Amino acid sequence: MTQFLIRRIFWAIFLFLVATIITYLIFWVIPSDPAALAAGKSATPADIARVRHFLHLDEPIWKQYLRFVWQLVRHGSLGESFVNRQPVRTIISKDAPVTASLVFGGAVLWLALSIPVGILSALRPRSIMDRVTMTLVLIGISAHPVWIGLIFSYVFGYKLGLTPIAGYCNFFPGTVGAQCEGPVQWAYHMILPWCTFMILFAALYVRLIRANVMETMNEDYVRTARAKGASQRRVMVQHVLRNSMLPVVTILGMDLGLALGGAIFTEGIFNLPGLGREIVGAYNRADLPLITGIVVFSTIAVIVFNFLVDVTYGFLDPRIRPS
Amino acid sequence: MTSTSGSGSELLRVEGLQKHFPVTRGLVFQKEVGSVKAVDGVSFSLTAGETLGVVGESGCGKSTMARCIARLLEPTGGSITFEGRDITHLDRADMRPVRRDMMMVFQDPYASLNPRKRVGSIVGEPLEVHGVGTDTERKRRVQELLEIVGLNPEHFNRFPHEFSGGQRQRIGIARALAINPKLIICDEPVSALDVSVQAQILNLLKDLQDDFGLTYIFIAHDLNVVRHISDRVMVMYLGRAVELGDRDNLYREPKHPYTGALLSAVPIADPEQGRSRKQIILEGDVPSPLNPPEACHFHPRCPRFVDGKCNVDTPELIQHGSHFAACHFPLEFWPMSEDEMRRRTDAPSVPVAD
Amino acid sequence: MAAAALEVKDLSTSFRTDDGIVQAVSGVSFHLDQGATLGVVGESGSGKSVTFLTVMGLVDPRQATVRGSVLLQSEKMLGASQSRMRQIRGRTIGMIFQDPMTSLNPVKTIGWQLQEAVLIHQDVSKKEARKQAIDILREVEIPRADQRVDDYPHQFSGGMRQRVMIAMALINNPEILIADEPTTALDVTTQAQILRLMKKLQAEHQTAIVMITHDLGVVAELADQVIVMYGGKVVEQANVDDLFVKPEMPYTWGLLGSLPRLNATGARLDQIPGQPPSLLNPPSGCPFHPRCEFVMNICRTELPGLNASTVGHDHRFRCHLDEEARTRIWTQKKAALVSEDAA
Repeated sequence: MTQFLIRRIFWAIFLFLVATIITYLIFWVIPSDPAALAAGKSATPADIARVRHFLHLDEPIWKQYLRFVWQLVRHGSLGESFVNRQPVRTIISKDAPVTASLVFGGAVLWLALSIPVGILSALRPRSIMDRVTMTLVLIGISAHPVWIGLIFSYVFGYKLGLTPIAGYCNFFPGTVGAQCEGPVQWAYHMILPWCTFMILFAALYVRLIRANVMETMNEDYVRTARAKGASQRRVMVQHVLRNSMLPVVTILGMDLGLALGGAIFTEGIFNLPGLGREIVGAYNRADLPLITGIVVFSTIAVIVFNFLVDVTYGFLDPRIRPS
Repeated sequence: MTSTSGSGSELLRVEGLQKHFPVTRGLVFQKEVGSVKAVDGVSFSLTAGETLGVVGESGCGKSTMARCIARLLEPTGGSITFEGRDITHLDRADMRPVRRDMMMVFQDPYASLNPRKRVGSIVGEPLEVHGVGTDTERKRRVQELLEIVGLNPEHFNRFPHEFSGGQRQRIGIARALAINPKLIICDEPVSALDVSVQAQILNLLKDLQDDFGLTYIFIAHDLNVVRHISDRVMVMYLGRAVELGDRDNLYREPKHPYTGALLSAVPIADPEQGRSRKQIILEGDVPSPLNPPEACHFHPRCPRFVDGKCNVDTPELIQHGSHFAACHFPLEFWPMSEDEMRRRTDAPSVPVAD
Repeated sequence: MAAAALEVKDLSTSFRTDDGIVQAVSGVSFHLDQGATLGVVGESGSGKSVTFLTVMGLVDPRQATVRGSVLLQSEKMLGASQSRMRQIRGRTIGMIFQDPMTSLNPVKTIGWQLQEAVLIHQDVSKKEARKQAIDILREVEIPRADQRVDDYPHQFSGGMRQRVMIAMALINNPEILIADEPTTALDVTTQAQILRLMKKLQAEHQTAIVMITHDLGVVAELADQVIVMYGGKVVEQANVDDLFVKPEMPYTWGLLGSLPRLNATGARLDQIPGQPPSLLNPPSGCPFHPRCEFVMNICRTELPGLNASTVGHDHRFRCHLDEEARTRIWTQKKAALVSEDAA
């Protein structure tokens, strides 16, 4: 077990380095001038040069990178935004809960929908219900979240007035200057974003679960269970589900890890102040520390979730456990 | 039998062949903590024109050995001499001309043919690889080959899934024959086929051997099949050869207890004979090649086991009577019941020249 | 005479598939005596497995059409309710399958799976079920049963897993055990162990066994009666001794002749040309006629009825050849086989 952990930590560090180096390389290659962007429209060339020096942008890229790493290791700091000099760590800690609300809430919804639908479809292949489901799945995968978001927003938010169109409310009351707060408002504002965000995933998962369940039902050990006189319910619950859900666990972990990096489209449409919206803005302003910071956060999220997936998998499948 | 040049001469010599797969542990620097000794010192020679049957159960290493000889794997020890040339560690470029003379037929007729290629292309591939003939000549040769193996030459444009299991195996054989090899290594070629189809393929292989002067290494786990097609037979257990000799002698008078157990385990398609024969049933499972028993690999299951000898001294493959066996206490007669097997003569046998 | 354990009359099973209707089993009849062993011999496409999956009610009713009658000690099975069938499966009839590697649930311990078999059919506590599990594991000769009961299937070898399968099928002391190619995937020495175990268990529990196999040797060793299936039909049935003494039908001759045998020299095998039939478009008349070397015109159009043989009690076969021809041909073939044996 310790070997496993140590190997994982080495791998995590390696991934971190790769992701951040690539970020810096890309930044080095693209033709943008964050100094000019940061200095503002009315800046003189002298101002820009001063800003450039202040932000260390006149140093070679590898020196900037090492500065970044040193800063992280020594002070645990991710630097400060080029634009407003705010600590990146602070920005991220403000945005992350928003993205997390969207992602985890959406995950709960999509699992609650896709698992029963996937199983039912698998039990009655080629039935009308199954065909309808598969058509909806196709739409769900093909339709762009922005399009879906806009339609939901327009129909339910604007036309029918059932839900707010945009905006985010803090879950915990007590922030200064917040327009709305508290769990109820939070959920109310999140309904449309959740529905938008989850559609693509629900569609993918229905397809995956259906395929897995259908395949598992044809396994020899399911036949053995039937030959023992097990009822359909027992066969499904004890034999089929556990085995067909294993791949779902893996993929869920990966999806959650990736999505935490920023559910860009949904956050954009509903104006949620999360990491996705933040990083788009950071790109536009060539805000290297912020970009890197979010990349780091994303990488860590992926690593952590992959680790959790591995542990859970080992727990669920005895063949994988280290013996 | 049409004779080819060199018939009767030694075609292949394998000496002390070893293939160990390392088992490693460690995070960054992988340290070898053990090895799976899939093939652990096998020696035999093969005369042109003969068929050597190799028989053994799972884990005995027969398939790995076949792949080593065909140089699909590189041996970790020992030597392989083909037509007088040492091919043990040749690189790919040097092996190429050798591969013209050594082809393989595999077990699974459903997996060993590329499903996306047409049959003509599959059978003609060896010709293409070795640059034999023009396109037209190759096509003609492919059709000729299809006919030789009993398929309709018009079908060269079809895909493998349009054929039955037996027919696909014929395609595999046609492919092996394409460039007139000297040696064909057959790795369980009939195990996946129905009994009635099995007979067709066995007959075909025999006919081809007569017609083209082929030499075969025939690997199978079915003793009946091996008996039918082989001139000499080698019995393998956990990476080693435990008995090797002329077919009739080996089947009539096995010397190694494992061979005896194998022979007596095969169900006989005759109720009378089946009831009257003495059966030896081994206890336990075949041990894992990761952790083989000390000295004689067979000693934990052997009815003739002698403590202090069989688990201390590794028996060599030496001549006992008419063939070779690796046993300190070879069987004195056959058939033998399990009780008779236990009552061995106490003196370790002295090899007797016959 | 005691009622047969299983009596099957005119059983037919067909499947609706995308390519058309597959006639897997047509008009199959046989009976299994109590405590006896019935060997069912056939190759791929013979319908041997589907026959018994139908008997067990394991075919998908949405795709399969089943006709005929199956009597389990005089109780009708084919029309029975789902719940009655579930009672029978695993309790009155146990079934084991070919591949022990995939026939056990990989994420549950074998103890759990054995207990499940008990708890489905017996009204006992979990503790009692576990005790029964350990007892039956001992009976199938698994060493250290009380420890191994908590192991997972992947921790057992192929032969051991098949023993576990047998244990699971026998734990409720069924009247009948159906074994579908139980040793095909095993090594020959392991096969010998399993066959010996099955004989022992049969003697102790008086279980009737159906042994489905393609291996005539296994049949010779284990069976009392034999049915030979081809193309979804029974083409010959007899006591095991009679079948080998005077087989009456060209397919059976072909099967016996195409076996490479331990005592025979390397003469040419009596091969059967062609390949096993497609059940999608079964040939008309006798199912074997496309491959039969003695085919006559009538064979192509008319299915031979089950005629009685002169040798043996309850020995039937399907063939249009007359008695004289069949006796002559078999005598010739047998002579060829025997002369090989003598060498």
